[in-house]
Amino acid sequence: MGPRSRETWAQRLGAFRASPSAFMAGPEGEDLGCDLLSELRSEKLSEQTKVSLLALSLEYPAQLWPDTAAAEAAATSLLDTLVLLPPRPSALRRPLLLAATTALATGDALGPTSAASLRLLPLLLGLACGSDLGRGFGPASEQRSLQATACECLRELESCKPGLLGGRLGLLRGLLGQEGPVQPLSLLLALALRNALVIQARARAGLQGLLMAGDAPTVGIPWNWALAEEGAAHLQPQAPSWPATEVQECGLAVLEPSPEEARELRAAVAQLLDTSYLLTPVAQAQLLWLLGWALRGLRGQPPVLFKPQLVRLLGTGQLTLLHAILALKAAFGEALFTAQDEALLLRRLTLAAQHPALPLSAHLFYLHCLLSFPENWPLGPTGEEAAPLLLGPRLCRGLLPSLLHDPMALLARLHLLCLLCVDDEEKEEKAQDWSPQHYLEELLAGLRQRAALDGGPRALATLCFQASYLVVRCLAMQPAVLTPLTRGLAQLYQSRPALAPHFVDLLDRVGPELGEPLRVVLRQEVVARPGKDEALCWHLQILAKVADGNAQSATLGFLRAAAARCTDWDLQQALLQVCRALLRAGVGKGLADLLQALARQLEDPDGRDRARLYYILLAHLAGPKLGVALGPSLAAPAASSLVAENQGFAAALMVQEAPAPIQLSVGPRRAEGPVPVLQLQVEVLEPVYSLELRFRVEGQLYAPLGAIHVPCLYPGRPCRPLLLPLQPRRPAPTHLDVRALYTTPSGLTRHAHLPPLLVTFADLFLPFPQSPEGDKQGFFEELWDSCLPKGAESSLWCPLGPRGLEALVSHHLEPFVVVAEPPTSYHVAIHLPPNSRLLLRLEAAQVDGVPVALRTDDWAVLPLAGDYLRGLSATV
Amino acid sequence: MAQRAVWLISHEPGAPLGGTVRFSRRYPTVEKRAKVFNGASYMPIPEDGPFMKALLFELRLLDDDKDFIESRDSCSHINKTSVYGLLIGGGELWPVVAFLKNNMIYACVPLVEQTLSPHPPLISISGISQGFELLFGIQDFLYLGQKNDTEINTKLNQLPDLLLQACPFGTLLDANLQNSLDSINFASVTHPQKQPAWKVGTYKGKPQVSISITEKVKSMQYDKQDIADTWQVVGAVTCKCDLEGIMPNVTISLSLPTNGSPLQDILVHPCVTSLDSAILTSSSIDAMDDSAFSGPYKFPFTPPLESFNLCYYTSQVPVPPILGFYQMKEEEIKVKITVNLKLHESVKNNFEFCEAHIPFYNRGPITHVESKVSFGQLEVSREKSLLIWIIGQKFPKSMEISLSGTVTFGAKSHEKQPFDEICIGATAYLKLHFKILDYTLTGCYADQHSVQVFASGKPKISTYRKLISSDYYIWNSKAPAPVVTYGSLLL
Repeated sequence: MGPRSRETWAQRLGAFRASPSAFMAGPEGEDLGCDLLSELRSEKLSEQTKVSLLALSLEYPAQLWPDTAAAEAAATSLLDTLVLLPPRPSALRRPLLLAATTALATGDALGPTSAASLRLLPLLLGLACGSDLGRGFGPASEQRSLQATACECLRELESCKPGLLGGRLGLLRGLLGQEGPVQPLSLLLALALRNALVIQARARAGLQGLLMAGDAPTVGIPWNWALAEEGAAHLQPQAPSWPATEVQECGLAVLEPSPEEARELRAAVAQLLDTSYLLTPVAQAQLLWLLGWALRGLRGQPPVLFKPQLVRLLGTGQLTLLHAILALKAAFGEALFTAQDEALLLRRLTLAAQHPALPLSAHLFYLHCLLSFPENWPLGPTGEEAAPLLLGPRLCRGLLPSLLHDPMALLARLHLLCLLCVDDEEKEEKAQDWSPQHYLEELLAGLRQRAALDGGPRALATLCFQASYLVVRCLAMQPAVLTPLTRGLAQLYQSRPALAPHFVDLLDRVGPELGEPLRVVLRQEVVARPGKDEALCWHLQILAKVADGNAQSATLGFLRAAAARCTDWDLQQALLQVCRALLRAGVGKGLADLLQALARQLEDPDGRDRARLYYILLAHLAGPKLGVALGPSLAAPAASSLVAENQGFAAALMVQEAPAPIQLSVGPRRAEGPVPVLQLQVEVLEPVYSLELRFRVEGQLYAPLGAIHVPCLYPGRPCRPLLLPLQPRRPAPTHLDVRALYTTPSGLTRHAHLPPLLVTFADLFLPFPQSPEGDKQGFFEELWDSCLPKGAESSLWCPLGPRGLEALVSHHLEPFVVVAEPPTSYHVAIHLPPNSRLLLRLEAAQVDGVPVALRTDDWAVLPLAGDYLRGLSATV
Repeated sequence: MAQRAVWLISHEPGAPLGGTVRFSRRYPTVEKRAKVFNGASYMPIPEDGPFMKALLFELRLLDDDKDFIESRDSCSHINKTSVYGLLIGGGELWPVVAFLKNNMIYACVPLVEQTLSPHPPLISISGISQGFELLFGIQDFLYLGQKNDTEINTKLNQLPDLLLQACPFGTLLDANLQNSLDSINFASVTHPQKQPAWKVGTYKGKPQVSISITEKVKSMQYDKQDIADTWQVVGAVTCKCDLEGIMPNVTISLSLPTNGSPLQDILVHPCVTSLDSAILTSSSIDAMDDSAFSGPYKFPFTPPLESFNLCYYTSQVPVPPILGFYQMKEEEIKVKITVNLKLHESVKNNFEFCEAHIPFYNRGPITHVESKVSFGQLEVSREKSLLIWIIGQKFPKSMEISLSGTVTFGAKSHEKQPFDEICIGATAYLKLHFKILDYTLTGCYADQHSVQVFASGKPKISTYRKLISSDYYIWNSKAPAPVVTYGSLLL
């Protein structure tokens, strides 16, 4: 694309800035990085436009040159542009240096293999040293500013790659001692020194003369990357984390410099501190953070070096300076600040936290510093906000909250007041003249009065509730505070029910100390004083939160009265929400009537449906299960209450499959009655309620089986056998598929698939109805004869065990024997439902077996009978 | 110890988006470090649009106050500092340093050199104070001196270049942006050795030192048995030192007359090189007694080129300059008022102006006033919500003046009247506005002869003093009033 005019660029940059992501996704996005680089060399564009192009590259290098190769190429191009600038003054040199530095640092290109890095670093160092780099680097008038810029660039590179300048400490010290610009060199040296110390300590190496001043030639010798490579893995915080971490963590404890090194180090630090007054206040603060971090835990480096600076700094109200002093305090504690110093520092902080000459944001930050003050000997747990021991009530009196304060100031000061109240409570002798509790009470009353104003901004209400919450959190154990607070909040609700959402929120967040009494008074307030119609929706919202099993009749009375006034969808839903709360609380009597009435009378079908659902739930579910069904879902928090309710139902009312805690087995046969009946033995591993066992037979062999219900089963407690009547359509053995549906002790309904039950051929045997008294033989013969010709006949040899035929018969066939001539002959008649018969003649038993003649009127039974008899002999 | 990004957003109530991003600057090298330091808790800097929306919401500057919104209105969502967490795209951007001033929101995101979850305490984050200082610096640059829109726009346009000087890589080098502007212009000057970073170039010309003491007096008067009246003096000493040389030394001494009130809570400019411990410890926290340090207060310093505030102080003068009471009673649509003001005899009775403003909040417009003033004249403001009693240049010989009358109001129109959250019902105040030249309430003065200057040439030294009222309230004694305390003057 050809060169663009200033206007096109302005437009393009504007579009980019409006939304970089949208622009880069558009048609022009791809070329922007390349266009920008090439246009920097265009002679048609003004310097001002080029500066704005560079400014863009300073902010969005990752978008313009998204990968390392592109960043490297961009940095090379920027450096080429810099070298090609004509020797006259130019506003481009500085931003070009900054842009090349940014491109390398953000594009991960900085390193020994990057050609651009190997060009930029010596160039920056040369500029920082004030070396004459030739006419290409502009007139002498620009050198001073470029020198400072080069230092800034080096510092940024050192920040991103710690250790980069570790080999140049001596050189930097030398420069600082000469005529170099103090601030950029001081900050660069301090950072490089700190990084070198940390890296060397980590590597358990000494300082190795790194600090020795030297005028090493800067151009031409290869860059030393050794330290940077060691440091690269650990990007170092420039400030110690807080509260003072263990000395070992900062890694310097192991560094034990030789006496000579220690002296050099001390000299370097002293040199930096001595000229620190020449730095701007913010730069002084940075220097202190860096040096404090560098010297912390370093043996042989007493922090007294900092002492001469402190008094001067304590006198100011500058945020950065006081903050830096606090950092030193946290780093060195008693080694730098005696108890008197600590008291003075607290005084200055207290003063700064309320000084009329400082802005509110500064006040608030100082208040935070007071409550997080790094004490020499902290008493309380670390990490929690607390009033320092030396900050007595007298010091705090200027920091009391008042209604005229900005909300944030009020809350911050209120927190301090609460902490004072805690202390005051702990003291045995209370101050006669002034009571923090009393003050607190009045303040809260004032806040409530403002929140109660109809039409007042929500921020006022929010502030009142935030203050109440803060007080409860700090003073939960003090009834003297909570009682008036509860009363006051009830009055607030009475005068402005529209604050209901705030009350609900407060109840959600406070503990039972305030929550319980507040629930009670709010319920009373709503039920006893329903007030005007406008408040109804708020009342319902509150009741949904506070309604429980107490004062049922009053609550239900209120709801009955309210139902008539709930004309729109919102109100009806709010009303039902209260019903739901009552349902959960186990309110039954009266609620059923109300729900029934609602299911009939509500105008909205949605409301009616919901009322009906609740009624059905109430009618069909036992209390605990109802609680669980309507309870909040234990699953991930849902986006809305509707979804939550749905999830609750889903979890509680949907039947979930579970591994069976039930074992089922078939017990002894009972051959009696009109149909075969299985006796089932049940054992459970955990309590099971409302057990329903469902059975299914593959195909059409049997008529569908009825389910068996058991109210409850407990492990270890014997249970009567369960009887399962079978209705075979054909006399055949089968497998029963068994499913169990039951309720767990927690009220959830589960279903389980049990192992299949085997119904054997013998399970279907039934005796014939008793033959007429007397002629049993005749009865048997009649049956025997009737089998043919329709049926089938067979005979087989049934082996006998040592106990002979008698034992076999009594064990297996007893109920079906019609004619017995023990021990050698038995006539057996078996009725096989629905209407088959099997007749056996066991006669002339011998010692080892008996010949069995069998007849049946159903030929399909024959193989089964054969198998059965052979099975008998096998078990003998 | 750096900033990841900085924004200026103008707050435009009623506009569709609620504001406009006037300036933004991101620092990608810092962002890169943030990614490493913050680890899994890293949240990238959003684009301007989503950032502004989230910030306006958090600061309650969107006009959607109607409904309770948990993420903003919950009682546990407590902010006690100007540092916020913004919910953007499901993540939380924290810490966002932000404040609103003159309808402009100043915001930045400092680098935190550790994980963000849980939030480390703010005191442990060096970038927080630096962020504040940067924003204060921008605010001073935009608003010191002038306030008209054109000038502000010009200055906003200068900001990108200035930040390129003062904060090229996100680490703030100088919070005084004017200094950076000067350094761009001074670029051709060859800097001599040991030039302070806070002083660009040197002064050439006639040496002169100007010292100006401005005292502001605040008061809360209740005229009640159980609540003590309070008052406080806040002083600021402003200097402009036009002196040759790189590091001229100056010492200014502030003195008090024998019955003067000691200066307390002294905060000095960072250019002050040393400080007497009596100055450092003199504090309004302590009860006043005769042993209090009463000067002279010596401030040795090396001045910057520009005008600067050498020090601030407070003081507890024994009596307020004007003592009064205000009684207001509501009678349906009328209120009856009685005011009495008395100038203390020790105060210079020569005002540049003196007025008592009596506002009526949360009421309809003033339709009728019947009044009797013993001195001066009474006017109704154009907005019909304020009575202005113009007292003039002098109190009468009796030093005491009074006003009584009845004010009638029209019907309240909800849209026009801004809601006042303090002045509800009969809770009301009158506010005094006055200015006295060549006078301080503490008596504090800078003696020309005590100013020591170590620089070439004898400078001309000029000193100025003035007393102005600020937040000087007299509350209706017939209704509850909010109690405010200054220092230890408590209850």
